[in-house]
Amino acid sequence: MKLAVCIKQVPSRDWQPRLNDARTWIREQDAGFEMNEPDAYALEEALRLRETHGGEVVVCSAGPGRVAQVIREALARGADRAIHVEDDRLAGADAFVVADSLAAAMKDEKFDLVLTGLQSDDMGFAQTGVILAQRLGHPHATIVVDVKVDPSTGSGQAATVRVKRELEGGWFQWVGMPLPAVLTIQSGINQLRYATLKGIMAAKKKEITKAAAASSNPRLKIASLYLPEKVKKTQMIAGPPAEAAKELVRRLREEARVI
Amino acid sequence: MILVVAEQRGGKLNRATWETIAAAQELCRVGSLDPAITIVVPGSNVGAVASEVAAARVQNVVVIDHQALDAYTPDGYAAALEPLIASLSPSHVLLPHTYQTRDFAPALAARLDRALVTDVTGIKAVSGEIAFVRPMFQGKLTADVVAQGPAPQVITFQIGALRADQAARGDAPAPIETFAVEIDRSAIREKPEPPFQEAKQSVDLSQAERIVAVGRGIKGQEHLPVAQRLAAALGAELAASRPICDAGWLPMDRQVGSSGQTVAPKLYLALGISGAIQHLVGMKGSSTIAAINKDPDAPIFDVADYGIVGDLFEIVPALVEALKE
Amino acid sequence: MATSTLALWVLLVVFLGAFLAQVATRVRLIAAGAGSFSFDHPAFRIKRFIVDVLLQRQTIRERPAAGAAHALVFWGFVAFAGYTAVEFAYGLGIVDLTHSAAFQMYRVALVPFATAALAGILFLLGRRVGVRPVGLGATVSMESVVIALFIATLMATFLLGFSLDERTFAGRVNWWTHMLVILAFLALIPASKHFHLVLSPVTVLLKSPELGRVENLDFDREQVGLEAIKDLGKKTVLDAFTCVECGRCQVNCPAWGVGKELNPKALILQTKDALLAGRRDAKLGGIYSEKVLWQCTTCGACENQCPVGIEHVPLVIGARRGLVSNGDAPAYLGGVYNNLERRRNIWGLGYGQRQKFIEAAGLETFDPATHEWLVWLGCAGAFEADYQKSLRALFDILRARGLTFGVLEKEACNGDPAKRTGNEYMFQELANQNIEALRAGRVKKILTSCPHCLKTLGNDYRRFGYDAEVVHSSVLVASLMRDVQPGDAPRTPITAVTFHDPCYLGRYAGHVDEPRELLVRFGADIREPVRNRDNPFCCGAGGGLLFADKEEEPGSRISDVRFKQLQDTGASTVVTACPFCSIMLKGAQASWPPSAGPRSAAAALGSPGAQADTQFVDLMTFVRDRL
Repeated sequence: MKLAVCIKQVPSRDWQPRLNDARTWIREQDAGFEMNEPDAYALEEALRLRETHGGEVVVCSAGPGRVAQVIREALARGADRAIHVEDDRLAGADAFVVADSLAAAMKDEKFDLVLTGLQSDDMGFAQTGVILAQRLGHPHATIVVDVKVDPSTGSGQAATVRVKRELEGGWFQWVGMPLPAVLTIQSGINQLRYATLKGIMAAKKKEITKAAAASSNPRLKIASLYLPEKVKKTQMIAGPPAEAAKELVRRLREEARVI
Repeated sequence: MILVVAEQRGGKLNRATWETIAAAQELCRVGSLDPAITIVVPGSNVGAVASEVAAARVQNVVVIDHQALDAYTPDGYAAALEPLIASLSPSHVLLPHTYQTRDFAPALAARLDRALVTDVTGIKAVSGEIAFVRPMFQGKLTADVVAQGPAPQVITFQIGALRADQAARGDAPAPIETFAVEIDRSAIREKPEPPFQEAKQSVDLSQAERIVAVGRGIKGQEHLPVAQRLAAALGAELAASRPICDAGWLPMDRQVGSSGQTVAPKLYLALGISGAIQHLVGMKGSSTIAAINKDPDAPIFDVADYGIVGDLFEIVPALVEALKE
Repeated sequence: MATSTLALWVLLVVFLGAFLAQVATRVRLIAAGAGSFSFDHPAFRIKRFIVDVLLQRQTIRERPAAGAAHALVFWGFVAFAGYTAVEFAYGLGIVDLTHSAAFQMYRVALVPFATAALAGILFLLGRRVGVRPVGLGATVSMESVVIALFIATLMATFLLGFSLDERTFAGRVNWWTHMLVILAFLALIPASKHFHLVLSPVTVLLKSPELGRVENLDFDREQVGLEAIKDLGKKTVLDAFTCVECGRCQVNCPAWGVGKELNPKALILQTKDALLAGRRDAKLGGIYSEKVLWQCTTCGACENQCPVGIEHVPLVIGARRGLVSNGDAPAYLGGVYNNLERRRNIWGLGYGQRQKFIEAAGLETFDPATHEWLVWLGCAGAFEADYQKSLRALFDILRARGLTFGVLEKEACNGDPAKRTGNEYMFQELANQNIEALRAGRVKKILTSCPHCLKTLGNDYRRFGYDAEVVHSSVLVASLMRDVQPGDAPRTPITAVTFHDPCYLGRYAGHVDEPRELLVRFGADIREPVRNRDNPFCCGAGGGLLFADKEEEPGSRISDVRFKQLQDTGASTVVTACPFCSIMLKGAQASWPPSAGPRSAAAALGSPGAQADTQFVDLMTFVRDRL
């Protein structure tokens, strides 16, 4: 099977927000970067599919030069080779721009299955995977928690994939579709393997193909980026038990909206 | 005009649609747009849903009723909505940011080749443009996003950002029309099976939406019913910290913590739990944490959103009472 | 040449030949070991050699009776060296010094040695066969009995030589018995545990001055750790042949002590067997059983107790590296490694909490111009509420004494859990990140309350060329308080406490007096637990086992056994000086009493006592509250 995993490099989760002067994006110089967490689960899923069905896992990423860090990490975890669409303008670009670039770099590879995380930890639009599917002309499914591939039999029966989608409220649904297909993967569906020392050493010798960004019009503009008004603080509720209980229920209902 | 896409499953309306209707009305106000709102209800046998939403203060309701839409598929829904959008030429297409919407809205936007702004929590006018407010960087920052390019712009709204009861009702039901579409069933590549809920073999706390957890403050196995009543009232699963399970008061599969399960429910209610780090790492991912403990210095209060210092044997029964209202 | 002389020559050649052949095999195996020997800090090594080998301190300290008996035998051997040489020179017809006056005086001087050695060896034999201590193995080794009888015979024949004329038949028989036993002994020792006679002085000299020394892996040379027998280093191979099977490592091992399969003695002997069988390509995970390798807390008790210089800890960690490099770490460590990689701390928590603590405690960012000390907060300092309280106490003490200090704006975990569990890559990543920040901050002196940070920053970071003074809070505060007289206006009456020595403070760093000094100065009546000072019974958190909780059964946890030992002192207050000891012991208390599990530790605990209302106090808090 020829598997592709699209990964994004995002600022680390523990990074404290610092904005650029125009307040339209973050100050990248201050940020530490890491692999987008849902993409890490997508990569793990692809590696497991390769273990079951054989083939290769190609990791694809669109972004500036610094993205090489997460590409190497993916190679260290076991991906076979990589495609890096390298362009500084891809930093902070919207899903259409990114998907157009990825599609252009990937279409000739004729992947059987493309996996990516359901959304990114930085912008969180949850669009890139699905738009990529449209650009490649493949069917797709999102928020996938289980993947079962049925490889094509010799007698002309096409390969299909059956995936379990997560729905609201503890509901699930299995959906089948022909390959090639695009899946966006939910976090936490498997146990991530850590990059072993041998994997890290081997990664240095694996191939990273560079590709140019496709021309594409941005569809979104961040007019302004700022800190939200509400900062997480513990609200202590005082008073006699009956009152305190009532107040807690009220806040859980109306403020937190969890009941 | 503004098009609102209603969501339904099996002929039952998703309540979030009302929030989207409220959003559409809000958009008209903020953007000084012509308050012409159309609600489209795609699906099969959705007459009842259409009548329900017709109560909103909107121009009309359009029903796209087609056999091929009886189960949701992205191919089917995109094929149904594209021609309607072409015919209506709305300025905006609004949807609730549900799991279903996340599955097909980007596909629709890609096919239309139009901008899509997702997970919006508010609408602003900024220097003559309409900006959509949404969280970024895991909620650490907020962004005002302006969609670029020609109409329509596709916008999805975060569930709970607006309240369903904010949607203004009309004085009389809006007129309901039908819109005919041609959908080639064989062109729908996805083959969905009926949705289901997982049959639970054992307790899987990692899937629970609400959890009531007990710690040493519960003092004895005989007092567990106090917590169990609260769990029942909340529709929550019962969980515990390590000492409770070590003592055998609750089975090991109810243990939360580094030596038990890691959970991330919407609500985690900690009763008599001090919040030792081995327990914290198991529940730090909870969206909302409420804690009740006699000790005001208990570390659990450092991570809780809401806290009550007091005797859980007095407060928990009071909670059960308050929940009845 | 007389027949007897010829006979002795023939026998000498045969038996010495056998001896040398066996030695050659072992020497070849040692030489084939990876890497090279180190001999840094020669003065320390020589001093240790004199005290531990010549003066037999290591043998005597934990087993006074047996140790003393062994010392007598050992000194006897040493004393007899000259005698044996002279007798062989005579028997081989080389030179006859046996009738010289000097030799006669020497013989007389040897009588007390021989008597003592004879008494010693008979005592040891009786203990081995009669008492059957568990550390000596499940069965009585025939070889040990034979050697013991040999030694007894040698001493007996020597003493008999005074009353038997050498020209009589009995005298000749006595003499020949003595010589034959020596030759037989010679041929037997290489293949027996008595090879330690030859090797242990060398092994002790070559033992690292640092407990649990584990060198960095060189990634440029593609080093991945110990995967197979052929990867073992020269010192490890030497260790395997030096083992005297005394079992001190075994009986002091906390994992073994709670009924787990891990047995440090078995590790060494399995290594020896595999080496001799020529199994160069055998995977270590198969030789030792992988499961066993993950039961080690790296407390160092084994290595610290060994009287012949064996280093167990680098072997365990080296083997772990081999496993981890191939992705074979146990599942619970995968989560920890991901936390370290993504969040740079062991719990995977966000650093907002560290920031909150810094603000609440009024801490300043370290500035070399105004601050003398950098306080290293560590993972516990960033996230663990109880430890943060103890740090606040430390800050109060420092401020009261006018010391200036600050903290780093950003810390990553020092890397100890990665290093001790064998994830060398993660360790070096974290170390390099921290060293960069420390160098950029121009930090010269680091203060920490966590013994693991102490070891890693103080020892392991030196291998990257980073050289700062790293001090544990107990040591610094003890020096600050030397002007306080013991019991000086105690605000609180004398308190009965027990002190749990952290392994990484008491055993690794040797700081056992400073905490006690502080406690006594501030009115404590210390009740020592059974295992204390530089041989504490581990709390069970080290070596990554803090995270292995899922694998443990209540009642058989190392922490449960230690908690009971502390309770048995009768003190209701336990003083700790390490955040992880505190977490483990409080966890044991929270689940007290443990339900009677099937494993032997529950039996070792005896009947569970009443609900434990033991108070835990950190050392810094204890001092601050009495200042």
